[in-house]
Amino acid sequence: MKKTISLIMFVCTVALLTFSFTLNASAEELKMVGTVTKIELAADGNSAIALLKDTKTGVEVTILVSDELTLDKFKDKRIVVDDEIRCKYDNESGKNVSKIFKKTAGC
Amino acid sequence: MRKIALNLLLAALLPVLSAPLSATAADDQLQMKIEQLSKEVELLKGQVKKVDDKSLGRWLTIGGDYRFRVDSLRGETVPYSNAIGTMQNLVGGFTVGPNAVAGLTTGANATIANPSAAAFIMQGKSGTLFTPAQFDTILGKYMPSAMYNGFITNIMPALGGMTPAQVTGYLQANALTAQQSSILSTLTNKGIMNTVMSMMTPANQTAFASMPPAYQQAAMVMAMQGFLGAPSGNLASKPAEKPRNETLYTNKFGLDLNAKATQNVTAHAKLNMYKTFGSQSDSAVNSGYFADRVGVFDGTIGHVPSEGLLNVDRAFATWSNILDQPLWFSVGRRPSTNGAPSNLRMNTERPGNGGTPALLVDYAFDGMTVGYAPDIEALPGAYTKLCYGRGFDSGIQTSGNSIKDTDMLGLAIIPVDTDPLRIWLQWNRGFEIFDFPVMNNTLFGNTAPAVNLGSIDWYGAGAMTTIKRFGPGTLNFFADFGLSVTHPNNNVSANAGFQGLMSGEFFAQDFAPKDRTGWATYAGVRYDLPSKTRIGFEFNHGSKYWITFAPSADDIWTSKVGTRGNVYEPYIIQELDLKPISSHLSKVFFKIGYQYYDFDYTGSNNWVGAPVKISSIQQSDLLLMAPMKKAYDIYATFEVKF
Repeated sequence: MKKTISLIMFVCTVALLTFSFTLNASAEELKMVGTVTKIELAADGNSAIALLKDTKTGVEVTILVSDELTLDKFKDKRIVVDDEIRCKYDNESGKNVSKIFKKTAGC
Repeated sequence: MRKIALNLLLAALLPVLSAPLSATAADDQLQMKIEQLSKEVELLKGQVKKVDDKSLGRWLTIGGDYRFRVDSLRGETVPYSNAIGTMQNLVGGFTVGPNAVAGLTTGANATIANPSAAAFIMQGKSGTLFTPAQFDTILGKYMPSAMYNGFITNIMPALGGMTPAQVTGYLQANALTAQQSSILSTLTNKGIMNTVMSMMTPANQTAFASMPPAYQQAAMVMAMQGFLGAPSGNLASKPAEKPRNETLYTNKFGLDLNAKATQNVTAHAKLNMYKTFGSQSDSAVNSGYFADRVGVFDGTIGHVPSEGLLNVDRAFATWSNILDQPLWFSVGRRPSTNGAPSNLRMNTERPGNGGTPALLVDYAFDGMTVGYAPDIEALPGAYTKLCYGRGFDSGIQTSGNSIKDTDMLGLAIIPVDTDPLRIWLQWNRGFEIFDFPVMNNTLFGNTAPAVNLGSIDWYGAGAMTTIKRFGPGTLNFFADFGLSVTHPNNNVSANAGFQGLMSGEFFAQDFAPKDRTGWATYAGVRYDLPSKTRIGFEFNHGSKYWITFAPSADDIWTSKVGTRGNVYEPYIIQELDLKPISSHLSKVFFKIGYQYYDFDYTGSNNWVGAPVKISSIQQSDLLLMAPMKKAYDIYATFEVKF
């Protein structure tokens, strides 16, 4: 059993690393680490606009968030103003559409 | 006249001509003032921003929790013999009374000069049950001397008058228990029986050697029965009991501080106080039924009711976004308590990147972590981390201090961490596991690690999910599986009566300890209603050799996830519908729950000694702690998170 679990863990580690390097290499999305300065939920609750202030440059970027998992975090106040966010987004038709929107990892 | 008229004309024209000039000057002045004001406004804005950026609220977050809890505890033990009490009876017999050997020189051939009772006491150490020197005296001098006396004055004469049939009858009627046989084997292995033989005259040695095997066996049985048999008077026999504490009130208070020190570096602290009403000690809860509830030690302070002081439960600094990557390093007293899925029954937020699976670790470790959370859209929330913890620092190594440090290394892989699905895989290894932690005023006196017993590997895999809009509410459930593999060395703990890592019984050493594999499963469900009512149920099972490292778990009797048997826990939480003020996540709730422990084996949460099936324990079996068959805890809490 322990061998099986060890094997699963090994495979997962390799997969995680492979995934991350492969995707990082091929994707051209924009990435930033910024502090949330504003969150505006749409009236229908299906999207939100978040303002992120780049922690390095101080430039504010408007991000459109439409994935349910992140919206739930906005609604439950698990992501609020002043939280530091790691964001990956695409610029589609002049809009910055969030692909990954998560608190910076660390603990 | 003309000159006067010209002067008048000039006087009249001058204001008209100079008007544009003065107007331009005024504009310039106004412009300058505007620019000056703009600069001042910008300056003020900058100052306000600086003040705002440095305001407490921007860089310091303060939170915490308060809990009042009442527990009604009941238990059921089975009959056994208290090992410590029996040892004390034996030592009492060695030092005082008609069979005392202390202060006497014993033996007709080889002789033993036994230390006096006073000398034996002088070998002791205040607060300690028996020192190594006292153990040496008991095993190397008092015990063989007393056995020799028994052989010469009772056993040999008795056997001399018995027929073979009587010997057979005696053996049938006085068969040793499995533990007594192991103790006899241990004493033989440690050379004590040889010492006894060497003390006899050559004639007696020859007489004993020429006895039929059944007679020799009967002699040994008589010796054992004389020491640890029911009629010996040495056994500290304990009947079955129903221990209870109808009302145990406790107060718990925690204060969390989270400071953003610089870009990417934060410092965290959590101070905890946890005490029993009417007490500044841990005696109300550490009553000695389970190894994790014998005393409070380093990683359980603030998690087991003890005193009214605020202790540092967590203090660590984290450096995030290293090299602009989702990479972090964190060091200090770690958030290695209350990991997933315990957040469900504790009604707290998910632990995020912190914590370790509660089934494997619940202990405040001092250590460090390196973590990586790659941005993989297909695996939202994925991260992995390598953790290290120091469980015990043995201090400076000297000729009198050879014990090694105890360390823990762990690897966590969380491929997905979202509300609908969180999966975790965990491996930990504990190196140089000690016998007893540093504790004061316990059932065993003041304890400290005396020997390294080996290492332990842990493996875990689990998942939890939250399904929103499941009927009128939200459904949460989880399932977790753990495996423990102990790797004993050949060391044993004299303080624990020669028990090793998951091997041996009291004074019954296992001379060929094996790796032991245990497993556990933990599953639970919680349904959250729109009325802020949360109804939950949890179940966990641990096998014979299951060992976890969760002494800080939020359970009074013993850490339930370390149980060798089954535990059932239904609970209900009612949050009050009150507007949060102190933080977005602040809340107030009541909780009522019930824990039912059904133990299959002894030694839950104890890695010292081999487990014994509860149903097979006999009255004469020596155990360090009272064997609990069943335990119950009805509890209620009033909790404030701020």
